Amino acid sequence: MQVIQADVVIVGGGGAGLRAAIAAAERDPSLRIALVSKVVPMRSHTVAAEGGAAGVVRGDDSLENHFDDTVSGGDWLCEQDVVDYFVAHCTDELVQLERWGCPWSRKEDGHINVRFFGGMKVQRTWFAADKSGFHILHTLFQTSLRLPSISRYDEFFCADLMVEDGKVRGVLAIEITTGEFFLFEAPAVVMATGGAGRIYRQNTNAGIVTGEGMGMAYRHGVALRDMEFMQWHPTALPGTGILITEGCRGEGGILVNKDGYRYLQDYGLGPLDPWPRPKAMELGPRDRLSQAFWHEQQKGRTIDTPKGQVVHLDLRHLGRKKILERLPLITEVAKTFMGVDPVVSPIPVCPAVHYTMGGIQTNVRCETSLSGLYAAGECSSVGIHGANRLGSNSLVEIIVFGRVAGDSAAQHARTVTASHGDSIRRQAEASAQHLLSLLGQETGERVATLRDAMRDSMESGVGIYRKQDAMQATCETLAELRTRYRGGVRLDDRNRAFNTEWLTAIELGYMLEVAEALAHSALQRRESRGAHFRLDGYEERDDERFLAHSIAHFRGDGPPLIDYAPVTITRSAPRTRTYGGAGKKAEMT
Amino acid sequence: MTTTRIIEIECQRFNPQTDSEPHFQSYQVPFSEEMSVLQGLQYIKDHLDGSLTFRWSCRMAICGSCGSMVNGVPQLSCHTFLRDYFPDKVRIEPLNHFPVLRDLAIDQTDFLAKLESVKPYLIPDTEKTPAQGTYLQTPQQMDEYYQYSECINCLLCYAACPQYGLNKEFTGPAALALLHRYNADSRDAGSAERMEVINGENGVWGCTLVSYCSEVCPKGVDPARAINQNKINSTKDYFLRFLQPRGGK
Amino acid sequence: MPAPNLLNRYTRPMEGWWRRNPFYLWYMLREASCVFIIAYALVLLCGLYRLSQGEAAFNGWLAALATPRSIAFHGITAMMVLYHAWTWFKVMPKTLPFIHIGGKRMPDAAIVTSGLAAAVVLSALLFVLVWSGRS
Repeated sequence: MQVIQADVVIVGGGGAGLRAAIAAAERDPSLRIALVSKVVPMRSHTVAAEGGAAGVVRGDDSLENHFDDTVSGGDWLCEQDVVDYFVAHCTDELVQLERWGCPWSRKEDGHINVRFFGGMKVQRTWFAADKSGFHILHTLFQTSLRLPSISRYDEFFCADLMVEDGKVRGVLAIEITTGEFFLFEAPAVVMATGGAGRIYRQNTNAGIVTGEGMGMAYRHGVALRDMEFMQWHPTALPGTGILITEGCRGEGGILVNKDGYRYLQDYGLGPLDPWPRPKAMELGPRDRLSQAFWHEQQKGRTIDTPKGQVVHLDLRHLGRKKILERLPLITEVAKTFMGVDPVVSPIPVCPAVHYTMGGIQTNVRCETSLSGLYAAGECSSVGIHGANRLGSNSLVEIIVFGRVAGDSAAQHARTVTASHGDSIRRQAEASAQHLLSLLGQETGERVATLRDAMRDSMESGVGIYRKQDAMQATCETLAELRTRYRGGVRLDDRNRAFNTEWLTAIELGYMLEVAEALAHSALQRRESRGAHFRLDGYEERDDERFLAHSIAHFRGDGPPLIDYAPVTITRSAPRTRTYGGAGKKAEMT
Repeated sequence: MTTTRIIEIECQRFNPQTDSEPHFQSYQVPFSEEMSVLQGLQYIKDHLDGSLTFRWSCRMAICGSCGSMVNGVPQLSCHTFLRDYFPDKVRIEPLNHFPVLRDLAIDQTDFLAKLESVKPYLIPDTEKTPAQGTYLQTPQQMDEYYQYSECINCLLCYAACPQYGLNKEFTGPAALALLHRYNADSRDAGSAERMEVINGENGVWGCTLVSYCSEVCPKGVDPARAINQNKINSTKDYFLRFLQPRGGK
Repeated sequence: MPAPNLLNRYTRPMEGWWRRNPFYLWYMLREASCVFIIAYALVLLCGLYRLSQGEAAFNGWLAALATPRSIAFHGITAMMVLYHAWTWFKVMPKTLPFIHIGGKRMPDAAIVTSGLAAAVVLSALLFVLVWSGRS
């Protein structure tokens, strides 16, 4: 086993990981920073984010507006002090990206242009055409090349955390090319490993979004918070789940059912006129839109296609010029994957799993309960998304809190004296032996069999709408799948070099545990809030009993222990979430 | 329901632990109308042969992971559809001109070093703080570089470039396109620093305008154009050095 | 099981690369067309040299041009020149900075078409001039 000494190890090379690495390197250029990622950074899933990033710039907008939209969007399950910090730092970070070269879309006069997103009072979304995540990621990656103290370990699969005496001491990783183990010893570790969307089947997420980062922290005793809140994006392509950005609706796109009727007006998001209007109709929040789709489907008003039930996202009235200029990626994606040209026909869409609101519990400094361990981005639950994330907040989250995590970790690394010990190496050896044993299994099931069973069970039990019995069944299935997994998976591939089947098997172990944390958190939340909506007598929000974060604790081979923690409320007391209603007509930029 | 047909997918296999030469292996894959070549490979991995090794991630032609030679042409496998090859077989090989690590996975380290060599970041005149706000840049100024910023580093252009195949020192299409992306950005003042790469033996003059790179680019970046713009810049620079021998900019 | 430290890498040899793809064949043809153009220039130079040696020498050169082999050579060369010219215009946009007309970027196809059109018109003009000047 090779041992690498570092001061800060960052796991994950997406937006949050890169921003953390840059922040740590800028804070103290003498620190040795190891950026460990299972893919080359520009392959990370940040690349697929389309719509944009929220930052207050317009004269008619305010930090208070952004705070309100975020907290009400999150159905009051947000940490309000953290949201305050967040909204105050979004614009600075977006400006910083611009200074690093990010090609944000501009107005004729050369200033940054902003667009509407769902759930927003005022235009606040900075965008780079409909490839915002792509440009953010490449800008960060290319900027990181300026900093010599960042050592990249591309295609190193982080397989375990090293923990001793309640402190994180490093990570164990597999160099994918060779299959060799590497121990990264460091006093500070930042998890920036992204979400866990792939525990579901119908998915906007890339194949790498498997949640093992969450799983690693969880297995080492760090709680996963608010896991039951999974966001369905209302507009994805049927079959593949490929994302059709909310930016389409931000530009004025409409959703219609099989009768050509704008059905959202039937679900508390109307009235229809005046249009367009902020926080109404198609500019409502994602949870409401995905739920409305479900109801339309129940009423038989969706469109039946070979790939499932869909509704139509119609952009045609925007005209060719605007569609091609503002939504080039969507145009290409719709043509390639659906054979539909949005200029001449509506795009068939349906909801798909999109974003993991919950994650590794941290405070506003991105610290977890394990000393030296930090988390940022989708893998974390810093507290800004609550029960439903506002569109455009995640791309700013990765840069605002990526930076915080990098700063905090750098500071920690400077104050803690590195301790090298044989015990960590022994721990790493033991963990490596365990991982290697997967390669030698002679009996067992295929990885794909267990994985597909998990995904189907998640879709049926903890989907857009939830019921006690179905959730209970999913919990039981997951427990059974964990037992079967422990019983052994049988790999076709016994090689060390570039064995992706082996890595998939390791991921699956973590995914099953994260899925279980999610299902049990959902089962025990006996209310409806944000993206967690029950149909079994708990259709209302229950602030008396459940204005609280769910906290999932790992308990070995058994089911997780779920308890609750209070929500920090500074100035916005829970109200009814209102969307639609009469309002002023918005001007589209 | 869409009808399911069977297509033959032939993959190049290479195991670095046991093989010195690659060989081909065929699989019979059921497919439906909308299935991409990548989905065909995923079917093989999940159901027929878990040892088949390939990279993939986003499935929507933006992450740049899944480039391979599909019937001899550099393609993103997620963006290429089985229906277009049926009833003939599809032959999938790793991207040309790169060392093969295993099966369809190639070694990208050389490219990453080249990417770094072109200083692909803004080198501003004077550093400013975010408090000073953003730069001004009109849509027309953006247009000068924007298409070059759309490169997803999928390496199809390197697999298309025989000059890179013949001379691995050549900086190559994507890296030079990215160099031009920053040079052409009105916010950048680093052109002089990048001139060394342009002028060098393995800079733009390594290109003989085969221009297949631009042909295969899935994002319309047109790297051949970026490179040939800089042949002009390099020539200008050469003559300006005569006029201003004392290191004029 | 220890991990293998030195792994094989396989790199496909480049032999015969230009036969692997029709695009490369056309490229090689473009490059090869230069040989014919050089040969044609040499033939012209030779004519100039013979002219300097007197009328008989020049007439000998003219007679040599009328042989079937020479006509075949000129036929092939003409095709090569046409192909080379076509490829030259086809790559022309790649050598030009973006051209903006009325705030809009001129599409590559327009550059290629106008280049080709200019070449055809000028060639025709030259042809008419030469033809009419020959009495």
